Amino acid sequence: MLTPTEGTGHTEGTGHTEGTGRTADTGAEEELRIQYRIADLERRFGDPVDPDNPLGIDALLAADERGELLAEAEDVLADFQLNAEFVPRRWGGRLDRVDTMGRVLRAVFRRDASLGLGYGATSFLAAVAVWAAGTQEQQRRVAELLLGGGRLAIAYHELAHGNDFVRNEFRATEEPGGGFRLDGVKQVINNVVRAEALVLFCRTDDAAGSRSHSVLLAEKDRLPEGRLRYLPRYATVGVRGCQNAGIEFTDCPVAGDALVGELGDGVELALRSFQITRSVVPSMILGGGDTALRTAVSFALNRQLYNRSVLEIPHARATLVGAFTDLLICDCLALAATRAVHLLPAETSVYAAAVKYLLPKLLTDTTYDLSVVLGANFYVRGGEYGAFQKHVRDLPMISLGHAGTAACQATIIPQLPRLARAAWFTGPPAPDGLFRIRDPLPPLDPGLLELVATSDGLACSLAGAAEELAGDGGSGLSARTGEYGEALVALAGELEAELRGLQEECAAMPAKDRTVLASPRSYAAADRYALLLAAAACLGVWRNQGAGQGTGPGAGQGADRAADPHGARAGFLASPVWPAVALTRLAKRLGRPLPKLPAGWEEHLLDEVLSRYHEARSYDLYDTPLAG
Amino acid sequence: MVPQPTGAHVPDPPGTQAPMGEREFTRWLKARLAEFLGRPAEDIDPRTPFAEYGLDSVAALSLYGDIEDEFALFLEPTVAWDHPTVEALARCLAEEYASRGGRPDPDTPAEV
Repeated sequence: MLTPTEGTGHTEGTGHTEGTGRTADTGAEEELRIQYRIADLERRFGDPVDPDNPLGIDALLAADERGELLAEAEDVLADFQLNAEFVPRRWGGRLDRVDTMGRVLRAVFRRDASLGLGYGATSFLAAVAVWAAGTQEQQRRVAELLLGGGRLAIAYHELAHGNDFVRNEFRATEEPGGGFRLDGVKQVINNVVRAEALVLFCRTDDAAGSRSHSVLLAEKDRLPEGRLRYLPRYATVGVRGCQNAGIEFTDCPVAGDALVGELGDGVELALRSFQITRSVVPSMILGGGDTALRTAVSFALNRQLYNRSVLEIPHARATLVGAFTDLLICDCLALAATRAVHLLPAETSVYAAAVKYLLPKLLTDTTYDLSVVLGANFYVRGGEYGAFQKHVRDLPMISLGHAGTAACQATIIPQLPRLARAAWFTGPPAPDGLFRIRDPLPPLDPGLLELVATSDGLACSLAGAAEELAGDGGSGLSARTGEYGEALVALAGELEAELRGLQEECAAMPAKDRTVLASPRSYAAADRYALLLAAAACLGVWRNQGAGQGTGPGAGQGADRAADPHGARAGFLASPVWPAVALTRLAKRLGRPLPKLPAGWEEHLLDEVLSRYHEARSYDLYDTPLAG
Repeated sequence: MVPQPTGAHVPDPPGTQAPMGEREFTRWLKARLAEFLGRPAEDIDPRTPFAEYGLDSVAALSLYGDIEDEFALFLEPTVAWDHPTVEALARCLAEEYASRGGRPDPDTPAEV
């Protein structure tokens, strides 16, 4: 039987904590542990493109064609105890940082999104409500289930109501003697048949409104026979290996202790849980983006057209460099959103929605651009480049799961007028820790997440950025801009001006535009806002690279360096090239005037793309060594 | 969980406004809801839940900010969920307002 450990949850080795404290030492150890975990997972999976690898792309594609998860791959994940990534350390798992979860899961998603969702992430989406609001007993049971290799299914949405899940009809009726009776149908629930327990979003009150639903944890082995039946599986365009089916409960009793949180707290709990899941799922799916780019690079290097390799075609080179830059942009935003869960929990509601909105959109656009490079090979479902079309099919499915684009925008829009009036250009900028890719974080505490953001440190960090880059802020940042100084100052100025314009527009947004009846203009405002957050994240990451950091509580940057096995390469993120190109791409999407970049930027980035391909290192901020 | 005043918008000092009672809050809420829903204020029934008018959960959350800006009443974001009609919310606001003696103090936000 599991019992929670005390403190912030360090149970292994010498990494104990003292007081508030993680010393620089534990920060370095923590980073090493994370790198070890990722390397371990990579090693177990092996080289994805090796045709003889039983866990390689060929085997995964074949399983996808069969509509199955690759059994051997599931065994590897069970052996690795992937589920421990979803269980808080105090319950014996390895979960203490949301950014780390995204990082580890990329190793799975870069091979197969179905596996990433179907083996693992789904269980976390379900469990997070229990970590946020469950009783000690519920948390213990869920931890035991997951650490024992079991599965948890999440049954929030109903097909008829989509993300308008407040209209959900699945009913849990309170019994006079305690407990509930379940009645109704939930469709398209991943793993519903093989999961040992379900986290159910149920109507517990007939009244219309946001206090009429509750979350229940239903463990199948505690339910009487014959009260539930499964409905046929749904065939899907993407993530074909995922086993999405329906479930119907008929007059099924559950005990009163199945209730997670308070009666009527369902919507609140969902909105709180979504802040964590919406932050971390986009980070995970960057692994798929890595594979899409890697596949296109492989094609560009190997394919001969017009007597030369595709890579020699200028458009192809530009596309590869653009895709790499987009992946960096996505990772910067994912980093800020996942670290905000720990560092800016009062602001995470907008950041989580922004990353869940923007990241799949950028990845979709990027993937489309890359598909042009692949040409006719884009349509081939097997072979060397077959992974690409699978990613194209999987990506929208993962994006839709648990929060569609419109639902995320609907979370952002009502918050914009208040942020515009009371936060932007007035609040403090985000702390440096938000952007430090390998720094430790304070413990995860879902109770600190607020339903509505009243400040916005990420957006505020754009204010004054141009002056700082120009050298007026005394930060020494201008010394790092080199020949990109002029472009970076101009871009930062454009972004700040864009935020000013957005502020004016949002402050004047009519009340009607905050509801689902919002005009397309409001949706455009949410889009601009998300792009600005991404830009702020890119600048923040770059600003926190290189010299002049390592002070302040918990910074541990020096130790972080020491922990970085390929520290010599840290120069890439510190150079001003990638942020200049990233901000240019974002400013272009925002329709701002673009400065001219110094010659040589494309070659610089292409060199990085190619060396990360040849040396098998990840296309994200972490430059992680990969198998194969 | 208590939202902190942001300080950017300074509401009129309460002394310069007419005293706010249930009736005044009802009138204000109906007008506000009418703006949200794009329909005349006369059509808003004070006893019909906001949700039945199509005000979604997240939009309802944003009402508390309007209340804060307008009346310097610092409430939970979920206030419109817990008092889900014009009538119920107006009563809640009137009580909050009265309990503060009409002199809200931004430094000590009320517990709800």
